[in-house]
Amino acid sequence: MRENFEPLIVAFCCHYCAYTAADLAGTMRLSYPPNVRIIRVPCTGKVDVLFLLKAFEEGADGVYVAGCLEGDCHFLKGNLRAKKRVALAKRILEEVGLGGERLEMYNMSAAMGPRFAEVAREMTEKIRKLGPSPIKKMPRAGSKGSGENKILDQVVNY
Amino acid sequence: MDLRKEEQKSPSEKIGAVMVVGGGIGGMQAALDLANSGFKVYLVDESSAIGGKMAKLDKTFPTNDCSMCTISPKLVETGRHLNIQLLMDTEVVKVEGEAGNFRVTVRHKPRYIDVSKCTGCSECAQVCPVIIPGRFDEGLAKQRAAYKLYPQAVPNAFAIAKRGIAACRDACPAHQRAQGYIALIREGRYADAMRVIKEDNPFPGICGRICNHRCEDACNRNLIDQPLNISALKRFVADQVYAKPYQPPEPPPLIHEDRVAIIGAGPCGLTAAKDLRQAGYPVTVFEALPVAGGMLRVGVPEYRLPSAIVDREVQEIVDLGVEIKLNTPVTNLDEIFNQGFKAVLIAVGAHEGRKLPIPGVDLPEVLINTQFLRDVRLGGEGKQRIERLIAGRHVLVLGGGNVAVDCARTALRLGAARVDMACLESREKMPAHPEEVREAEEEGITIYNSRSFKRILENDGHVAGVEALKVTFMEFDSEGRLTLETEEKSEHVLPAQVVIFAIGQRAGLGFIPESAGVGVTKQATIAVNPNTYAATRPGVFAAGDVTTGTAYVIEAVAAGHKAAASIIKYLQGEDLEPKPKPELPVVKLTKEEIQERIERGEIRITPRVPMKAKEVTERLRSFAEVNLGYTEEEAQAEAARCLACGICSECLSCFYKCGLGAIDHDMVEKIEEVEVGSLILAPGFEVYDALGSQEFGLGRYANVLNALQFERILSASGPTMGHVQRPSDGQVPKRIAFLQCVGSRDKNHPYCSAVCCMYATKQAIIAKEHEPDITPVIFFIDLRAYGKGFDAYYERAKREYGVKYVRCAISRVAEDPRTKNLILTYLDNSGEVREEEFDLVVLSVGMVVSASTRELAKKLGVKLDEYGFAETDIFNPLATSRPGIFVCGAFQSPKDIPETVAQASGAAAAASEILAPVRGTLVVSKEYPPLKEIKEEEEARIGVFICHCGNNIGGVVDVPAVKEYAAKFKNVVFVDDNLYTCSQDTQEKIKKAIAEHNLNRVIVASCTPRTHEPLFQETIREAGLNRYLFEMANIRDQCSWVHMQEKEEATDKAGALVRMAIAHARLLQPLKELPKKVTKRGLVIGGGLAGMEAALGLAEQGFEAVLIEKEAELGGNLRHLRRTLSGQDVAQFLEVLQEKVKKHPRIQIFTNAVVTDFSGYVGNFKTSILVGPRMFTREIEHGVTIVATGGEEYKPKEYLYGQDERIVTQLELEDLLAKDSRRWREVKEIVMVQCVGSRNEERPYCSRVCCAEAVKNALHLKELNPQVRVTILYRDMRMYGLLEPYYKQARQAGVHFLRYEEERPPEVKIQEGRLKVSVFNPILREELEFFPDYVALSAATIAADTAELASMLKVPRTAEGFFLEAHMKLRPVDFASEGIYLCGLAHGPKLIDECIAQAKGAVARACTILAKDEILVGGIVSVVNPEKCAACLTCVRVCPYNVPVINAEGVAEIEPAMCHGCGICVAECPGKAITLQHFTDEQILAKCQALLERELKAIRQVEAA
Repeated sequence: MRENFEPLIVAFCCHYCAYTAADLAGTMRLSYPPNVRIIRVPCTGKVDVLFLLKAFEEGADGVYVAGCLEGDCHFLKGNLRAKKRVALAKRILEEVGLGGERLEMYNMSAAMGPRFAEVAREMTEKIRKLGPSPIKKMPRAGSKGSGENKILDQVVNY
Repeated sequence: MDLRKEEQKSPSEKIGAVMVVGGGIGGMQAALDLANSGFKVYLVDESSAIGGKMAKLDKTFPTNDCSMCTISPKLVETGRHLNIQLLMDTEVVKVEGEAGNFRVTVRHKPRYIDVSKCTGCSECAQVCPVIIPGRFDEGLAKQRAAYKLYPQAVPNAFAIAKRGIAACRDACPAHQRAQGYIALIREGRYADAMRVIKEDNPFPGICGRICNHRCEDACNRNLIDQPLNISALKRFVADQVYAKPYQPPEPPPLIHEDRVAIIGAGPCGLTAAKDLRQAGYPVTVFEALPVAGGMLRVGVPEYRLPSAIVDREVQEIVDLGVEIKLNTPVTNLDEIFNQGFKAVLIAVGAHEGRKLPIPGVDLPEVLINTQFLRDVRLGGEGKQRIERLIAGRHVLVLGGGNVAVDCARTALRLGAARVDMACLESREKMPAHPEEVREAEEEGITIYNSRSFKRILENDGHVAGVEALKVTFMEFDSEGRLTLETEEKSEHVLPAQVVIFAIGQRAGLGFIPESAGVGVTKQATIAVNPNTYAATRPGVFAAGDVTTGTAYVIEAVAAGHKAAASIIKYLQGEDLEPKPKPELPVVKLTKEEIQERIERGEIRITPRVPMKAKEVTERLRSFAEVNLGYTEEEAQAEAARCLACGICSECLSCFYKCGLGAIDHDMVEKIEEVEVGSLILAPGFEVYDALGSQEFGLGRYANVLNALQFERILSASGPTMGHVQRPSDGQVPKRIAFLQCVGSRDKNHPYCSAVCCMYATKQAIIAKEHEPDITPVIFFIDLRAYGKGFDAYYERAKREYGVKYVRCAISRVAEDPRTKNLILTYLDNSGEVREEEFDLVVLSVGMVVSASTRELAKKLGVKLDEYGFAETDIFNPLATSRPGIFVCGAFQSPKDIPETVAQASGAAAAASEILAPVRGTLVVSKEYPPLKEIKEEEEARIGVFICHCGNNIGGVVDVPAVKEYAAKFKNVVFVDDNLYTCSQDTQEKIKKAIAEHNLNRVIVASCTPRTHEPLFQETIREAGLNRYLFEMANIRDQCSWVHMQEKEEATDKAGALVRMAIAHARLLQPLKELPKKVTKRGLVIGGGLAGMEAALGLAEQGFEAVLIEKEAELGGNLRHLRRTLSGQDVAQFLEVLQEKVKKHPRIQIFTNAVVTDFSGYVGNFKTSILVGPRMFTREIEHGVTIVATGGEEYKPKEYLYGQDERIVTQLELEDLLAKDSRRWREVKEIVMVQCVGSRNEERPYCSRVCCAEAVKNALHLKELNPQVRVTILYRDMRMYGLLEPYYKQARQAGVHFLRYEEERPPEVKIQEGRLKVSVFNPILREELEFFPDYVALSAATIAADTAELASMLKVPRTAEGFFLEAHMKLRPVDFASEGIYLCGLAHGPKLIDECIAQAKGAVARACTILAKDEILVGGIVSVVNPEKCAACLTCVRVCPYNVPVINAEGVAEIEPAMCHGCGICVAECPGKAITLQHFTDEQILAKCQALLERELKAIRQVEAA
């Protein structure tokens, strides 16, 4: 099972740096695994802990947030806030048994196309080794807010 | 593109447009500021894209920001601006008229790609076979001739680099694009190569064997080693293609009825037949012989040109639908016309050989070349007869041309016992190709040169030899008459049993009676117009040997093409004369250029790849081909030798590939006239070409790079993808040396380039960040870290990164040939010669003004200074010598990016000041149809447009499958796929679909929203939809381009991305942007130089200005200055400026005034001031704010300042010098101490102005009293840019400069009433003592106390108290809060001209707001739901721009005009009371869910969602 396992990874990328770096990786025709799918946000400072946990809940095997280099945030310090939230979400994931290592924060500049591809490869490789997210084995939650297995419900008072 | 305005204007009327020359960061900034303040801008650049030097940089100092990240939004904004017209590939020719009303003549150079059609899809570059050194990567990587300057280039369009016509093509009568097919051979694309050959020449296999290849004689490689073996390469292509089974071509349709007859199926006739048939004419070829091919088939021996090749190439023409009638001699020309042919081409060649009129020529063993060869080639009885005649006999061929050689070698193969040749010409003058002669001799043929023939000796009715004479001189005149001199009594006998005459051929024109009306020349050729090939009778054309006498195949081909073109014109009733067309220059490389390219490693000496031939013994046994052709490997190796002289070879691969018809190789230069009111010159600089400094070894040593090359190496998108590698072996260098002042501060460049110290520091830091093991060492003279934050950066480089700085000049760089390491020789601090080894050397090359910029200045009548920079005045630093023409950036003087940007804004202000009355007259604003109302509850009706992007997406992703998949989703009511979704016609299709299907949401799945979202948003807006009802799926840059090898997965991913976009689109809401009125008044805080200039600037631009000054009078620090370094009177300037400001009707001044309250936002600020001494208050409403609060001279605590009146600051000294010049004649000695209160722990910055101030005062002292001893004690003399020459002047005037070390500063004492200064000299290693009359302290410049103001304005300050701009590099006069600007000393210490430029820059930035009647606010901004807000202040705390406030209702409020839309507050708000529009949590979560929803292995099975 694990040999054929192809993880699904969500990358929250900021418009100004990481998303641009992803485009540059394209222009440079740098190949990376198709497992990574990007959601564009104006700034990683917009990435809520909720988004990270929801992504896992919806079946992501790995999630990462990619923003500008530290000190280079287009909105001054949004990436530093994202860093803290990622750290918090990692702790939550640890506690609910998903494993914090399925979530990462990366920083890169808009000119770092090769780095974007490298991160995508790195993350995919790592999640491949970790195997499918345990949440996938749980029965799917029904309507919103009522599922017993929702991580959010488990950490509602965190 | 018509740039001229239609209506006529009187000459005095001003024109509301500005031309900006140069599209670098300076030019872009000026263009944007102008366009945003109501002026039409023409942005001219010689290159194919804007971006200039900054686009090449990896990072920028002192923040290490990514250069591309910061410049890229500017590129996009400039490129898309409605009122900026980009004139790329364009140069200015001349400027007529005067300020306010110029006529500029510009020359558009052909780009060969239509920018309006090109979508930047890159398919042209993918098929372009020509490889040249990459310009953008400074020659470190390769690029194609079809190229985009860099990935993010704007315009996002390709260009074709074309230098001219390659010498090979020029030399070829048929203009074969040899360089083109050679490049295609190197790429292994033989079918394409065949196409290129055949477009010019239907006989590749033939010409590849027997052409006299003038191309090779012309090949520029002759200058290096040997020319390319072009004919062998051509033959190789034919061999490759013909090795495959023959596929007959599809006959083109017959379009015309007029029939054309061609007489003669030789190369000329067949070429014309092919062209005519391809043009759609019915063609019949009449051939007298039983075979087609003419001389090729019956004149050239089989061993040189196998019949199979001729037959195959003829067959291809026949299969196109050309009728060939063999064995059909035309006996009467009129007969042809009687048969109904409308035109005739006579191409019968020259098949009649001749004999000399000498005795004995009628003997049976005397043969004629053409007949001899023809009989042999046709075989049968004729051949047998000849074999019988020749076998075992001694044959003598008379003649020295290729035909003679053919006869001789043929005779040998027919079994002659011996074959000799004899000819008139000397060995050197023999017309036969040397290669042929060599092969003949190899086969045992003896050649008698310089012989004339008297008679053929007879013996018994048979040939017994030829009596010959020795020739001493021979020459043919232009009409073919021979002058001959022979040696007396030199008669001798050449033995022979058979004689073959091979002395030329002529046409047989028996079928043209005199009555036919076709004129014939004396040389028995048909008389034709050489341009049109028309004979004297209408409808009759003649071409080939029949008009010229014997020539080569390729000439026949060329003539055939031209004749066919003429015949087509004749049949169409057009003028036959070909239209003159501007020709590209022929590229003849010079020895110097080749030498330089060899030095740069672009050319390597490699002899030509030999072609294998049959052994001589084997050859003679048969008529089998002698030369064996190239193998694939050999051909590619030979092809790789090509120098690609023309750059683009016009192989037309791009033309056939481009799906948009954007390629046009026939583009020519265009001259146009543009009317503008003023010009800004921002042509920038070029880096010093260090090939001129041989001692440093650039070019000679692989591991010596210039700084720009190293910048590319550091860049993640550069040639090594950001890996620090040395060129010789790709190894990571351990030790890197940076050599400063290469091409600066030297004899030829006596100025400082102003940026090299910092960029070297940056490169050292970045290299170290990439590879922590690297030890960077910077060899420098003075470390000039004079800018804002520079010194701190320099200190960090030393302390945190361990960058080593060595103060010395390098005398020599030598290479260890074994390791390719470099050995540096230098004199160290103590004067000892030292040697040190490095793995890599980077030359910190300086800035120079390029030759083309100097040329530009000359054309425009703009004066340059002695170094080539534009001459400007310190009080008017942005104006050139020609009124109405302004300057900014490195062309004004060497400078860094922020100064360039500030100057660019300043130049925009200066250029538009004179045009203020015509602001807004030439700009266009777009009219849109009314917005369709979309109700919140209205069902989404989504249209999805999926792009193939040529092959870029379609070649990887299964687009039809994605389209089918998308159609299955709920709410999706329309799906379409397009070859290029961004092309103009597709925009119309999208608009039509919106109307027809009543779409209210639109999705485009194509490339990236970063570049294309605005385009599509514009399209849907034009269709009446709100811009925010649009979503993109990035299935190219982030899918097809990165998953090329995994097509199925890429299709799945594209499906998922589209699914995600659909989920988002369902939730999209129209966003309103509300107009807010702008108060057209500016407030300037601070009445010093910068403040006065700013207020005056605003007023001159037509806006009201309120200037407030805390002191009682205007002038600030300028009041303490007396003169400038160049000797100009500051007081006088101040007086004039004050007058102007005070008298200006639009300026209101408050002195003794302070700000007490500040509120509002861009366009609508409100400021309260308290004005003394009467202490009244005023409330001012204004649209913009300019902060010019200034700074002051530090009052030193050091060096006993204040304890003795002989210890003064520099400003005090300046004052004393001006006041009492007589006193200084008595003074004997003065010591100046630099860096007093600067560059220390308390103030770790450089005060920038004090070195210049000290030099100024020193020079003034020397002027007053040449005997006075002036000693300046310094740490680094930071006489940057054009200050450097004054430093030199001071040294020449005898001012002493003594360096002291930071750790051991000088000491000032008062001893028995005398001043005593002692200082440790680090070179002499000893303490020096001075007893001066005065000590002048170069005290720091410190910021005014602005703590309170800063907190009222909510704008940040640095730790040192200077205001902090929005962005160190690209927004040097802006605050992060919109509508607030800064300039002057409030920003940091600076000189007078720098203050003025910055003040004007602030004006230009302010005008971008004031020029608008209203500004739109809203869109992607955060909004608070007051019901959920608990007023916890979290948003107030986290907002990076201090936007949220708790309002009167006790809830948070976010002013949409101030919100930047980052969404940080949204994520932090504990009550989830804030929403970021367009990126709502609901929308992002919907995207996330859709992305993960179900993995579709997929597309095929999924039903509607």
